[in-house]
Amino acid sequence: MATDQRAPILKAFQDALLSRRFEERVIQLSMAGEIPATLHPGAGQEVCQAAAIAALGAEDKVLYGHRGICYMVARGTPLTAILADIAGREGGTNRGKGGVMHIVDVPHGVLGESGTLGGGFVIAAGVGMALKRFGRGQVVVHFFGDGTSNRGTFHESLNWAAVKKLPVIFFCENNGWAVSVPSTVSHAVPDISARAHGYGVPGVLVDGNDAFAVHEVMSEAVARARRGEGPTLIEAKVTRMFGHYIGDRQPYRPDAAEAATRDPLPGFRQAVLDAGILDAAAIERLEQECAARVDEAVEAVRAAPLLDLELALTDAYA
Amino acid sequence: MSVITYQQAVNQAIAEEMERDERVLLYGEDVSIGIFGTTAGLVERFGPERVFDTPISEPLIVGSAVGAAMMGLRPVVELQFADFIFTAGDEVFLKAGMWRFMHGGAYTLPLVIRAASGGAGFGPEHSACPEAFIMHSPGLLCAVPSTPEDAKGLLKEAIRLDNPVLFFEHKSLYGVRGEVPDGEYTTPFGQACVRRTGDAVTIVAWQNMLRRALEAADRLAADGIEVEIVDPRTLNPFDRDTIIDSVKKTGACMVVEEGYRTLGVGAEIGAMLMEEALPYLDKPLKRLAIPDVPIATDRRMAEHIFPSALAIESAVRGLVG
Repeated sequence: MATDQRAPILKAFQDALLSRRFEERVIQLSMAGEIPATLHPGAGQEVCQAAAIAALGAEDKVLYGHRGICYMVARGTPLTAILADIAGREGGTNRGKGGVMHIVDVPHGVLGESGTLGGGFVIAAGVGMALKRFGRGQVVVHFFGDGTSNRGTFHESLNWAAVKKLPVIFFCENNGWAVSVPSTVSHAVPDISARAHGYGVPGVLVDGNDAFAVHEVMSEAVARARRGEGPTLIEAKVTRMFGHYIGDRQPYRPDAAEAATRDPLPGFRQAVLDAGILDAAAIERLEQECAARVDEAVEAVRAAPLLDLELALTDAYA
Repeated sequence: MSVITYQQAVNQAIAEEMERDERVLLYGEDVSIGIFGTTAGLVERFGPERVFDTPISEPLIVGSAVGAAMMGLRPVVELQFADFIFTAGDEVFLKAGMWRFMHGGAYTLPLVIRAASGGAGFGPEHSACPEAFIMHSPGLLCAVPSTPEDAKGLLKEAIRLDNPVLFFEHKSLYGVRGEVPDGEYTTPFGQACVRRTGDAVTIVAWQNMLRRALEAADRLAADGIEVEIVDPRTLNPFDRDTIIDSVKKTGACMVVEEGYRTLGVGAEIGAMLMEEALPYLDKPLKRLAIPDVPIATDRRMAEHIFPSALAIESAVRGLVG
């Protein structure tokens, strides 16, 4: 491990752990009917997401995918705001307009998400155009799934980003499933990263469960983008541990039970211990801290008023 | 005042706004030359960092404008043919139209999508006047300038507004000449213009249909029939008051449009008059529009289904007779 990975890996571990504990609580509250079950669980993909985001700077931008809330947690969006967006309470980021799918936190560089799958590529290209024009060395990373890599927008954006050498990182979390459709029946080539060749950009394949490796390839892509050398397509192989949505029983998925056990967090915990980044007692304290932060957010949101329904009529126009 | 073409007016508007605001960019397919010549000379003047050609990637053109706008730039993008709003449907209707709302007003989206609409001889996928689709969709402003003066003033205003604007330039008007004020001016959105005053019938028309309505009006005037012609100039925001005020005077309304009849702009105006001005109407609403079929490539066949000046004249005679 390079010594400069200690701080970002520690951050990634904290973010992944907090996201998991938070998501577990959100699912509990949803199953209990206290909040709507609108979340698409990110369990299994947080290690990858957190490690990638740990390679970014405060001025960088993120357009995220729909799986989980680790992206915003890792960027620093308060748990209370995220939960308020899910629960339809005051204190959220989009005041009922977008819910959990469209959490936005501009000061932390969280720019939002496309509701139509694959709709984010072209937005990311435009953000990259602006960042390049500003000339301050900022980058934007767009997280997306293997499924959306089949949209035409993927092609248009990667091509344009390559032509213009835009500071955009295309980060594919390949979990092998587009809702209920396995990539074996939707992709002729198993590795999304192989498509990079067609655009003349680097295509990097990485084990998404290996936080150190993810952080390293992401850091290289960020450095390349900051140098003005253009985009990188990163593909991280990850596991979608659960269904597409809360309550999805996955009758279409023969490996559903086995996938639920393929949790990268214990391995990440061990790696953090082995690298001497945290000891067992510190991890225990971190677990307690995460539980306390989740409790605090739940109580804050329970105390927050429901959104004023008249907000439905605002924000369509500036 | 100086006399310039509608096309020159568009070019001047972009150039003036690029001159006064560094954040304004111009891009799209073939903008370096301008497929209709409209944007010619701008890359030479403002450089390839601010004026550039894109690949044939309409979703990218509009979607990237949304991304650039949320970061604080003010992109003016071109879709060449207005029909291509459907090629970039997700980006026009769901991204430009909804991203600000969906993200709780976290940012503004100051972008202008220019597209050439209408006209005969371009074929079913290059002839649309799709303003009714935009008028029907939340979050999108829509301008339909009819004169060089308005093309320049409305485009300058569109570039300065903080909301996405669909700016339709009618192909048949590009060569039309007209007076524009010298010096700085903008034309506000949401203010219709009464192009001709009269008391017989209120005609609502814009762009090429406005020209035909004015032509019909001259012939009707020879017989002592004075129609009032209202040009809405923008369809969102839409100036209802000017139309209602005119109808109070004339008691009759006719809408002439180069869009499809069913659920067209005329249908909305008719419904609005039913709700807000029925006591003033002495006669049923009259709509002249394109029947609900695609527009054939053959120019004569296209003109056969477009409202003509003669048809407008005849419809007015029917209303007042």
